[in-house]
Amino acid sequence: MANENGNAYALTTLCPLLEVSGEDASPAALIRDRLHRVNTGASSPMAKVPNVYFCRFLILDDVIYESKPYRLEHLKSQYLVFEASLHGKLGPYLYGMWQHAQPFVRSMWQFCVGFSEVNDAASFTTYIQKCQVKTTFFFNGSTDESLAEQLKSLYLKQEFSKFAYAHQGWSAKDLKAAFQDFIVRVEPTNLARPTWRAGATDLKDVVIP
Amino acid sequence: MSNLAGKANAMTLITPIDGPVMALINKGIFFFLGTKLFRFKLNGLLTLSMIHYARWVIVSGRDFPRLSHSQPAEDLDYRYMLFFSNFNGSWAQYVDSFSAAIPDGLDGLWWQNVGWPKSVPEQPFHRYVTDNQLWTSHYYSAYPMAASNDIKSAKNVKDKLAQFSRESAHDEPDAFLHRYNRLLQSLQHDLGQLAPTPIVSLASQAVEQRRRSDARSNV
Repeated sequence: MANENGNAYALTTLCPLLEVSGEDASPAALIRDRLHRVNTGASSPMAKVPNVYFCRFLILDDVIYESKPYRLEHLKSQYLVFEASLHGKLGPYLYGMWQHAQPFVRSMWQFCVGFSEVNDAASFTTYIQKCQVKTTFFFNGSTDESLAEQLKSLYLKQEFSKFAYAHQGWSAKDLKAAFQDFIVRVEPTNLARPTWRAGATDLKDVVIP
Repeated sequence: MSNLAGKANAMTLITPIDGPVMALINKGIFFFLGTKLFRFKLNGLLTLSMIHYARWVIVSGRDFPRLSHSQPAEDLDYRYMLFFSNFNGSWAQYVDSFSAAIPDGLDGLWWQNVGWPKSVPEQPFHRYVTDNQLWTSHYYSAYPMAASNDIKSAKNVKDKLAQFSRESAHDEPDAFLHRYNRLLQSLQHDLGQLAPTPIVSLASQAVEQRRRSDARSNV
């Protein structure tokens, strides 16, 4: 199935916008304004959603005209484009998105056709599936591990790099003792902690102790 | 509005394809790329190693979701190909790398798309990509401080560290040191500390400063 490559899933949705918002601005303008105000990095609402590697939101106002001699044509609706590269199956991901980012979801999709029928995780899943378009080809250039595995790996890479740098020239006995302490501290098999914080942009708050 | 999330850059393109036959041919190209026989054609993408994830989505007017009878159905002559990429580096680095390294591959992936100028020479290619690009309003990366190669090297560090930890548990100190040095040797391409992205451009620096200021005021 083209939406999947290994354990990664490509979700692409085109969510039609209502013609009018009932407020002073168009649905597209309101959604854009809200999206621009959303916190980024670890404070993004999407950072709380499990197993999303990347995602983006944008408004598709119209198709692109390639100028003469090509045809000029227009979309009849505008669309909120939401795409995500995630680990695992779509259903659990959408359930997690509803559970962890519901206020954000409501705020962004409020001006989309059909979203008024969404009132829980199940109806949100149904709604998103109606808006989904099938991926033609999905390229996975990453490791195909879960996000928790990837974040733990980044944490271990960072910590072991520091360890290797700090313990150059140590005696065999002291090095072994230090390494054993290191393994106890970093807990390589514990994916929950210590690990890297999803979305973190600063070394000061990147580690979840 | 930003296509940047730390080291990750979001590119979104929409390009027309002239009719159902051309769309079928393009879908055929992607179908064959997905098979084992033709997967080697992706080696250029893998070798450049700038992309975390990318996708191509070909839609006709009928594929645009219609969720209500009051919503007008789309009536389009062209098919459209949407391209979403999550890559490392600047826009120019990305576009130029692919144009220089796999020009034939790019021409195949956008085969006969309407207005496609070919990936070489660069100037018309740059203009086409710019004209057909959509700007992201909110972009999220789970690891803004990591490039695609960092994710791969981190997995290698984790795997080898686990193996080393297991195998060296009962080593005498001298044997431990010998094994440890071999571990470092095998990881010399993978070790190194991650850090926030360097400034990609003055414009992106200004956006970042604005974000931090907004984040502080939102606390």
